Amino acid sequence: MSEATQGNVPIQSENDIIAARRAVRDLAARLSFGITDVTRIVTASSELARNIFLYAGAGVMWWSISDRNGAVGLELTFEDHGPGIPDVELAMKPGYGTSRGLGFGLPGTKRLMDEMEVRTEVGKGTTVTVRKWLRK
Amino acid sequence: MTNQIISVVRVRDTLMVTLPADPDDVTVATLQEEVLRAMERYRPRGLVLDISGVETLDSFFVRTVTETSHMVGLMGGRTVIAGMRPSVAITATQLGLTLHGTLTALTVDRALDLLNHPRPRRRLS
Repeated sequence: MSEATQGNVPIQSENDIIAARRAVRDLAARLSFGITDVTRIVTASSELARNIFLYAGAGVMWWSISDRNGAVGLELTFEDHGPGIPDVELAMKPGYGTSRGLGFGLPGTKRLMDEMEVRTEVGKGTTVTVRKWLRK
Repeated sequence: MTNQIISVVRVRDTLMVTLPADPDDVTVATLQEEVLRAMERYRPRGLVLDISGVETLDSFFVRTVTETSHMVGLMGGRTVIAGMRPSVAITATQLGLTLHGTLTALTVDRALDLLNHPRPRRRLS
């Protein structure tokens, strides 16, 4: 396996959701996250990749292994140039989107990760960055 | 990407369905069709969905499984989801996914016991 510290996975089809998931699983395992954290990170990436596919049609998942004050973590950024989210505060409210049971579960996805940032502009696109830090 | 293998097997009057570790959307969608066709063909009492090998369970997967369970119910069968891993249960709960009343069992053996009961004793969501 390559020891790259950053890269990307294009998301243009349903198959790319699983490609993103597999890339993230390999990365999380490489960083020696425990099985529950690996599952959390892979599931979060599946949801965010699916949001891109469902709402924007296409986008990219950028990944990098980050180092902050000696703490090692995995950072994933999901970027699209889709319609954007009109009301981010509403989208971040617990329960929002889950009634449809498909994608857009930003509050739930946030709970799986340590950090989440959403930048969005209507008509321009959405960028969601999530991070998980390795506990020593 | 090639299709993954899902196994749908009739054992006596139960359908045993086994899912791969990391099922993609096409596999999950195919599963629903195959299960409903097998329900019609074999007329089983119910369905055991063995997810003990599944490592990732996202919202699409859960939605399709609960939908399938509902459809099987409409046809007159019962569905038991068996063998969810601890890491998957933790993740599904934190993500906010629910199985909408689909029966669950720790193992396939217990799922079969549940199906042989005249009525489900309790429902988990």
